[in-house]
Amino acid sequence: MEFDIVIVGAGPAGSTVARKVAAAGFSVLIVDKRQELGSPIQCSGAVSRHALLENGVEPDTEFIHEPIYGFKIMNGLGGEKEIDYRKLKPNVYGTQEGANPLGYVVDRRRFDRYLLTQAERAGAKAWLKAEAIGYEQAGDDVIISIKHYNKIERVKTEIIIGADGLRSQVGKWAGIKTHIKLKELASCLQFVVDGVETNGLLELITGSQTAPGGYGWVFPKGNGYAEIGLGIIAPYTNVNAQVHLDRFIKNSFLSHRFKNARLLEVQGGGVPLASPLKKQFARNIILVGDAARHVNPITGGGIHTALSGGTVAAEFLIKHLPSGDDNSEKNLAEYQDNWLEAFGNQMWKLYDVKKKIFKEKDITIQDKKLFETMGNYFSPNSDYKKI
Amino acid sequence: MKKPVIFDIGWNACINCGACIAVCPQPAGFVSDFDTIAVNTPCEIACMKCEDICPVSTISHLVVAAQENPHK
Ligand SMILES: Cc1cc2nc3c(=O)[nH]c(=O)nc-3n(C[C@H](O)[C@H](O)[C@H](O)COP(=O)(O)OP(=O)(O)OC[C@H]3O[C@@H](n4cnc5c(N)ncnc54)[C@H](O)[C@@H]3O)c2cc1C
Ligand code: SF4
Repeated sequence: MEFDIVIVGAGPAGSTVARKVAAAGFSVLIVDKRQELGSPIQCSGAVSRHALLENGVEPDTEFIHEPIYGFKIMNGLGGEKEIDYRKLKPNVYGTQEGANPLGYVVDRRRFDRYLLTQAERAGAKAWLKAEAIGYEQAGDDVIISIKHYNKIERVKTEIIIGADGLRSQVGKWAGIKTHIKLKELASCLQFVVDGVETNGLLELITGSQTAPGGYGWVFPKGNGYAEIGLGIIAPYTNVNAQVHLDRFIKNSFLSHRFKNARLLEVQGGGVPLASPLKKQFARNIILVGDAARHVNPITGGGIHTALSGGTVAAEFLIKHLPSGDDNSEKNLAEYQDNWLEAFGNQMWKLYDVKKKIFKEKDITIQDKKLFETMGNYFSPNSDYKKI
Repeated sequence: MKKPVIFDIGWNACINCGACIAVCPQPAGFVSDFDTIAVNTPCEIACMKCEDICPVSTISHLVVAAQENPHK
């Protein structure tokens, strides 16, 4: 069996590469070890409308839980900054005719399935229950081994796309150091609940009292549901995310809003608040999305960056595959250069901003800086809108 | 020198988040069939970062005696 490219992982990053490269006429195999994409959910699902449209994804009721119109950042000490685009730009954002939401909270199960559907409709072949387990060199190509319903399939390909998320093994296969420092991985836990009111805003709660090293959140989840969660940095606290979330719900300045919360789902995950990988490629290998740590180091958002990283990778491949150039590391380096130019350099800048905040030893000043940075980040004049 | 350990995961509390794998400095393949760090292979690095990151503290370990360690 032979494909021009094999993509490991059908999350937002992998399915974007698959859709775009298949649409350009190349043969694409995308594999995912899960039986239901996006499940178990390890994401809150907030994504801007702009991020979807920019990457050729039409907002669709199939995956939208609830439209979003802005942000409210709180620090638990009385500090509040509301950035409601319905008020700031009423002609552009809102529910009225001609206006649109700023973004959405999506259902990752449906969103990931939708993205794969689009990839398959563009001509990509997809296997689920298919775990990539390693590869070997075969001249200028590679042979990737995929465990598919207990059978080992060996597939020849020019390039493997490692879109295998936070726990990426593809990068490790190629000798790329992918593991994340403990102080740069937020340990996150969230509950989907009934009985908590929201009003179309993403609410973010900063402060070491709530979430040391990270932040808490209350997101609208559609059908009157909400999502209450937080991410902490383990070395900044001596208790786990579960204890912090319990305190946040039962004993915080927002507890009065949570007193009727009825639990519906428990979800969690790790969010790299880290720099992008310094090297996101190797011979025959390209990493994209969480696997390359394409994650916003301030907000932890990774859907937009996964989609956009997927687009950059696809555009590179569409040029590279028919070029006759071999698949050496040297020839794949351009992918990362393109990515840096498109938005990677901005991510590095954001990482520096984040590092400066957490270098501050005085916790009160650190908390104040994070609150201000979050507020500025989501404001209409933000330098970082693209990511 | 740290002593090798074998990790044990309380599956009832594990939310399958994968954070333990993301901080693990082991080479590729130190994973279980349930998308967590490996539970049946001794870990010689024994940095315990997986235990620290787990949002529900469901990873524990046993120190492996030298003769029990198949890698030695
Ligand atoms: C609690 C939490 C909340 C979050 N909230 C938000 C948010 O609100 N907004 C936002 O923008 N981002 C959020 N994120 C981040 C976001 O979820 C990720 O950045 C995003 O999913 C990355 O997409 P991806 O395609 O790179 O990887 P993933 O979505 O992780 O997809 C990787 C895929 O690869 C598959 N895979 C892995 N290994 C193999 C293998 N060996 N063989 C086959 N398949 C394999 C997996 O099964 C998976 O389907 C959140 C993360 C967490 C943990
Ligand atoms: S970090 Fe804990 S909850 Fe997450 S997968 Fe590993 S053992 Fe399970």
